[in-house]
Amino acid sequence: MPGSHDTPESHLPLRPVELLLLTMLTAGNRHGYGLRQDILDHTGGKIELEAGTLYRHIRRLEEAKLLAQATAPDDEDERRIYYRLTPFGQKVLAAELVRLRSLVRLAESRRIISPARS
Amino acid sequence: MRVPGEKLYGALLHLYPKSFRSRYGAEMLAFYRERRRAGGAKVWPRVLIDLFLTTAAEHLRTLRVFRAPASSASSASTTELTMQTFRHTLRGLVRTPAFTAVVLLTLALGIGANAAIFSVVNGVLLQPLPFPEPDRLVDLRFQEPYWSVSEPEFKDFRRDLRPLEQLVAYTDYDANLEGDQEPVRISGARVSDGFFQVLGVEPLMGRTYAPDEQRPAQVPTPVIVISETVWRTRFGADPNILTREVRLNGVPRRVIGVMPAEFTFPNAATGVWLPLRLNYDSLWTRNNHYLLLVGRLRPGATAEQANLEANLLTRRWPGDFPETYGPGKPIIAEVKPLMERVLANSRPYLVTLLAAVGFVLLIACANVANLLLIRGEARRRELGIRTALGATGSRLVVQQLTESGVLALAGGGLGLLVAWGGLRALLSLAPATLPRLEQVKLDGAVLLFTLAVSLGTGLLFGLLPALRASRGDASSALRDGARSSSRGGSRMRRGLVMGEVALAVVMLSGAGLLVRSLLSLQQTDIGFDDSRILTARINLPPLNYDSDAKAIARIAEIEERVRALPGVVSAGTMGWTPVVGEGGTWSISIDGTEAPQIAGAPNADPLQVTPGYFGTLGVPMLRGRAFTEQDREDAPPVVIVNEAMAKALWPGQDPVGHTLKMYGNPGTPWVPIVGVARDILSRGVGKTTPPTMFFPYAQAGKSAYFVPRQVTLAVKTTGNPEALGPAVSRIVHQLDPGAPVSEVRSMEAVMGTALASRRFTTVLLGWFAALALLLAGVGIYGVIAYGVSQRTYEIGLRQALGADRGSVLGLIVTEGLRLTAMGLLIGLAGTLAAGQLIRSMLVNVKATDPLTLASVALVLAAVAALASWIPARRAMAVSPTEALRGG
Repeated sequence: MPGSHDTPESHLPLRPVELLLLTMLTAGNRHGYGLRQDILDHTGGKIELEAGTLYRHIRRLEEAKLLAQATAPDDEDERRIYYRLTPFGQKVLAAELVRLRSLVRLAESRRIISPARS
Repeated sequence: MRVPGEKLYGALLHLYPKSFRSRYGAEMLAFYRERRRAGGAKVWPRVLIDLFLTTAAEHLRTLRVFRAPASSASSASTTELTMQTFRHTLRGLVRTPAFTAVVLLTLALGIGANAAIFSVVNGVLLQPLPFPEPDRLVDLRFQEPYWSVSEPEFKDFRRDLRPLEQLVAYTDYDANLEGDQEPVRISGARVSDGFFQVLGVEPLMGRTYAPDEQRPAQVPTPVIVISETVWRTRFGADPNILTREVRLNGVPRRVIGVMPAEFTFPNAATGVWLPLRLNYDSLWTRNNHYLLLVGRLRPGATAEQANLEANLLTRRWPGDFPETYGPGKPIIAEVKPLMERVLANSRPYLVTLLAAVGFVLLIACANVANLLLIRGEARRRELGIRTALGATGSRLVVQQLTESGVLALAGGGLGLLVAWGGLRALLSLAPATLPRLEQVKLDGAVLLFTLAVSLGTGLLFGLLPALRASRGDASSALRDGARSSSRGGSRMRRGLVMGEVALAVVMLSGAGLLVRSLLSLQQTDIGFDDSRILTARINLPPLNYDSDAKAIARIAEIEERVRALPGVVSAGTMGWTPVVGEGGTWSISIDGTEAPQIAGAPNADPLQVTPGYFGTLGVPMLRGRAFTEQDREDAPPVVIVNEAMAKALWPGQDPVGHTLKMYGNPGTPWVPIVGVARDILSRGVGKTTPPTMFFPYAQAGKSAYFVPRQVTLAVKTTGNPEALGPAVSRIVHQLDPGAPVSEVRSMEAVMGTALASRRFTTVLLGWFAALALLLAGVGIYGVIAYGVSQRTYEIGLRQALGADRGSVLGLIVTEGLRLTAMGLLIGLAGTLAAGQLIRSMLVNVKATDPLTLASVALVLAAVAALASWIPARRAMAVSPTEALRGG
């Protein structure tokens, strides 16, 4: 439960699958199978979530108030449950990505990976 | 739209705790639907693994083993924990080989039996017929006494049945086929035009019949369509088969098509399909019911609609054709889905078997759960200490569940081996009357079923011990001390044993009732002695036997040479074999009066026999005389009737001296009845014997239309009749190499075919019941043995205080019997409920048969006594001083 002590940082680091889930939700509301497909596309088929695992993660993120149920986007099936990123979830995601960025910068400076062109 | 497996997945969702299911179940089902649509059946292994791991994890969570995972940094994920314990579990299982072996064997038997029976059920009951849109195929026939359909009736149905898009007719047809090897008898079908189109099956090679090949108009060379099996086995899979001619009953025919192996209609043995030429116009043919019909429903139409319309039609016929349909014999059509017709007799047997193996698996689960509980009990103390020393409390539960999963999957793997072997045994035992057996195999569906059953089994036997483990708290485990087991655990174990005893009782009673039914049927008096009789079908090719005299002489020659064989008592020949054959039902006239219409004429089944028939089968004459060698072709014709015919047509009179004649056929003479033969169960046990008239084979051409060219030779022997089979075949082959001999078997085997399905089910059920009894015995043994091991101290004390061995032994055995008695009571109540389900399969025995139920109770009590006596004796072998020191 997000109490007074529940800062975004207290949720870090996120589990890899949860980081993926939260990131995918930034593109818009999704239902469970949509999330699976997004992650499948993004990871080039490497991470294939099955229903049980997926909904256990969703339950955890939902209880931590990082994501919440949402209305279906237009033209989509209204009977399905869709999820959206909560403002708090967005903060946690941002904090996690900042943490990862500093890690990536460190790796770049040590020539473990080449710096991204930007 | 539903997707395949949706129901199964929906059912499997019930494995999750209710809170999780009600929150995400519907969404997970929707997830599965999309997953299945995109990925096909191969998604299942992943889906199942996910299911097992996450259901286990969720149950653990509900059991408050894990703290609410609000802070992920502090707790590892369940999956990681499971992986971590995996190695530990394997090590533990390897270290206790006896425990592991017993559990795996139990599971392999339970799961294997299920997989084997499921593959039969799947192949026979669940697989759709191998035709496009099989749901639209229907079977049309009449209720008794008509059964099959005549040509004019077929024509009426074809014209007037609107719910049907197409309707075709076929009829069984056996023939001698000459190919590369010596002639053989093969089954075939004569089929009307459109037959292959209605079923929607394309030939493997070549083509099927063109419409003009169906008409009586002379085609230069007759044509034939053969099966893949015939093509392969008789013609060595000759790729040029389509340019070849084959001889069928001596007539050359050009092969125009080969049907694929999976096309097995009307049945798996069908080897050739010939055109059926219909003659719609004769009045006679409306009374000649011999066609079977299959139709394809229009899209959207139902079998019920077709049934309704067919009966609107048949209701008009008695008015339109009073000469055909008598007032006492309403003609009622039956249109049913083809699948239902194919399976009509097999379904209850297979469902019973499936329920039985389900019970076996439940009992196996109870046993394994018990073993795990006992093992967990030991580990509880070990963990109590470790927890007290600071280990995490969840560890034990995770370990327990991982162990269940590993055992279940390994047991399932072994179960597949058991199923593979079991299935081969099963198929060799299975009666030929079980339809669609060729469809039975260990395929993807069976693998999937086995996997699902294994996982379900793992949860079933794993959750109870896990639940038990989750209640473990360190202090109580330590306080309980090393020797005593906690009360809750013992209650659970005893409950499980009671449950398995109850299930075993239901199974044993079911098997017992079926055995009694079978025995009662086997003891039915069949009217003759079928022991030491060999039967063989002899097929004289009609072209070579163009006169009756040739056939009569040949059969006499065969009989004479067979009689000369050593070990032969007598030989006789008949037109058709009892039970498996039939000779039709003919309308006749009796005592000089001809009924004005055929509908009013009496009828009876004809059987053409040589004089040796009655003696060889041992059928006594109740009145008059049997046939003799003097009843030759040129002698005055005579006839013998059976009891059933005498009672039906001359009630209260002696039929000897009365006469009969083929109905409406001025060419045939009035034939005097010279004898009355005792009834034999010519249609098999459980069926009524039809009125039957016997004609001397030599005279049948004159008095009964024709002398059959296909006959059954019966040989009474002094020893094993089947040993004479080769010699008899050789004699026929020497006399005429062109006359194939088929269906060489004992008369007992022939009479037994009527009970084949029942015997198959009964034997299997008996085996499963024995397995259930064994497992229940092992379960009782396990609980008592563990209880005794906990009470070594007490037993030692009692003995030290002077209790005699008998009273201590009695104490322990009584406990085992008490445990069984509860299970027995529950099981008997269950039997009374389950008895309703198998009542339709019981003959001459009630579902509440006291003798069966009492025997079952006795057997179980004996097993329970034995199962508790063994550990009791072992405990008392320990000397009191040792036992007391150990405590």
